Amino acid sequence: MNMLPKFAASLAVCSALVSASVAADVIKIGVQAPITGEYANEGQSINNGVKLIVDQYNAKGGVLGKKIEVITCDDQGTAQQAAICAKKLVNEGVKAVIGSYTSGATEAAQTAYFRAGVLQTSDGTSDSLTKHKYWTFFRNSFPNSAEADYIAEYFVDAKKYKKIVVLSDYSSYSTDLAAATMKALKAKNANVIYEGKIKAGTQNFTATLTKIKSMEPDVIFFGGYYTDGGLLRAQQEQLGIKADFVGGDSNDNPDFMKLAGSSAKGAYLVNVPTPDILPYDIAKQFLADYQAKFNMMPSSVWALMNVDGLRAILHTMEQLKTEDTKAISDSMHKMKDFPGITGPVTFREDGERIGAGYMTYEVQADNKYKIVYPTK
Amino acid sequence: MDIFIQQMVNGLTIGSLYALVALGYTMVYGVMRLINFAHGDLVAMSAFVGLTVYTQIFGENITSLVAVITVFVFTAAIVALVGVLLERLAYRPLRTAPRLSAVVSALGAGLVIQNSVMLIWGPNMKIFPSNIFPSTIWSFGGVVITFTQVMILGLSSILMVGLYFFINRTKIGTAIRAVAIDQDAAKLMGINVNRIIMIIFVIGSALGAVAGLFIGVYYRGVTFDMGWMYGLNAFVAAIMGGIGNIPGAMLGGLMLGLFNAMITGYISSQWAETFTFVLLIVILVFRPTGILGEKVAEKV
Repeated sequence: MNMLPKFAASLAVCSALVSASVAADVIKIGVQAPITGEYANEGQSINNGVKLIVDQYNAKGGVLGKKIEVITCDDQGTAQQAAICAKKLVNEGVKAVIGSYTSGATEAAQTAYFRAGVLQTSDGTSDSLTKHKYWTFFRNSFPNSAEADYIAEYFVDAKKYKKIVVLSDYSSYSTDLAAATMKALKAKNANVIYEGKIKAGTQNFTATLTKIKSMEPDVIFFGGYYTDGGLLRAQQEQLGIKADFVGGDSNDNPDFMKLAGSSAKGAYLVNVPTPDILPYDIAKQFLADYQAKFNMMPSSVWALMNVDGLRAILHTMEQLKTEDTKAISDSMHKMKDFPGITGPVTFREDGERIGAGYMTYEVQADNKYKIVYPTK
Repeated sequence: MDIFIQQMVNGLTIGSLYALVALGYTMVYGVMRLINFAHGDLVAMSAFVGLTVYTQIFGENITSLVAVITVFVFTAAIVALVGVLLERLAYRPLRTAPRLSAVVSALGAGLVIQNSVMLIWGPNMKIFPSNIFPSTIWSFGGVVITFTQVMILGLSSILMVGLYFFINRTKIGTAIRAVAIDQDAAKLMGINVNRIIMIIFVIGSALGAVAGLFIGVYYRGVTFDMGWMYGLNAFVAAIMGGIGNIPGAMLGGLMLGLFNAMITGYISSQWAETFTFVLLIVILVFRPTGILGEKVAEKV
């Protein structure tokens, strides 16, 4: 019976030796993102962005005199695969994980990284992601509550909508955004005539939309993903519902326009500044490098957000000259206005990124965006 | 009232897609007593085949009646061929084996097809061009119907009525019914059972291909794993109408579509699936063999 502890102890020593010998050569960075599945183009952009930054670091000799190695795990945007990825990446001995794209997949892996002391930075926008206050977690985007406040301001103060419809799906991100939006709208005494849910991926939303049509809304807000948002917009137009369509941040993707087809024109999308209008020099440089290396642009700003998370981690690592994740985390919590691609990066004590600035875009006939709010 | 009629149009559109897919399940079951679980994945595959045929032959921006007909015919032919191969490789060797083996083989074949689609066309969502059908919309009072919906409703009704007469009025149809009742007796009467089964797979797969193409044209975005959802709904429709029964599959499909639209429209989308399965259970409790019963033809 007392063989077991001994065996376990020797095993632990062995593995410690193994990981120590590996750690001597390289620093491993994990990517957990939807490389396949519905949100594949976002996941691939994140992976490409991380590889680009890592290549640039390695060309200059890596960090702390070591090369950086990227290990990618495909979570398909699902919680189940995310849990598997978390195990895999922790076992690989990564120091930090970039991703995932969806809040659901991020949340499912969060605790595993926290227990293993692996840093994680994600663009997931669910407010619930920072509620545990894990010292390992850093949100590189802005929380749904910030977007919800902006939406309430835009709907009530700017557009003066009288009849508002709020739609969402059952995902962690979408449920959270809809709840936050409802709360923000209620605080402004807005008139929400219908709050409903659609099932993501079911393609046929005409029944729900027909019901909405009879209520004659001024605006339909959809706080879900682009794969459903594009179809909703197309079917709204098809049913002749006159209301404005406003998509939440996850509708900002080229596939939204492809799915909506000719109906995309006139749709409104809310998001932080898109890659092409970011005024910073590092943003322009990054996009030029990305274009040169992959011969395309990133799908949306989300890849850039994740890249900023990675840059913040590598920067801190270099400054402190340590691989100790706890020390890096402590320093990152005090980080103020680190020059990011997507703007200054400042983290709060619970890993929240602060300083959000949202915009509303109107999709033009050529699928380009025109900023309609804030009007400057 | 407008809203009610609009919901009927919505429901019948998706319902006729379910019906087309359900026919594939029910025809195979009627003849072979086998649930062809790979059928949903054939439907998904046909959307991808159709998209490739369209972009390869005509390019992105050509819309003409000839192009549309060519795409439908080509795709139906290719998918029918895959259906026949499926039967040859996955079902024929197991025809005398216990029924469970054939079902497992069907599930396996479904995975093979699904993963082949993923490997050939990639895991990303593929998007159909928006101009395959004209974007005409007709409006009657408050009820709107699109050209694509009219095409879906029209073509699927024509196909279903045609199939009904084919099964009941032609010589091959009579042979199909004979094989469905008793394969051995049919063989003794000089009917080539293998050939009949092949015909069943050709028709079932081709109808599935039409459904798959409509899904692509109507909803635009297609994914390699969407066959599961359409397959499951169509399977439920087939059981609801009475599996093995051709008018039953049509009725089941249309009912399922209508029922879903009405529940979503008047109660809530959260409850649509729950109510659908409650309806299925209720039907099966009172009519265990489905609304129209199980047999293709009556044993006299």
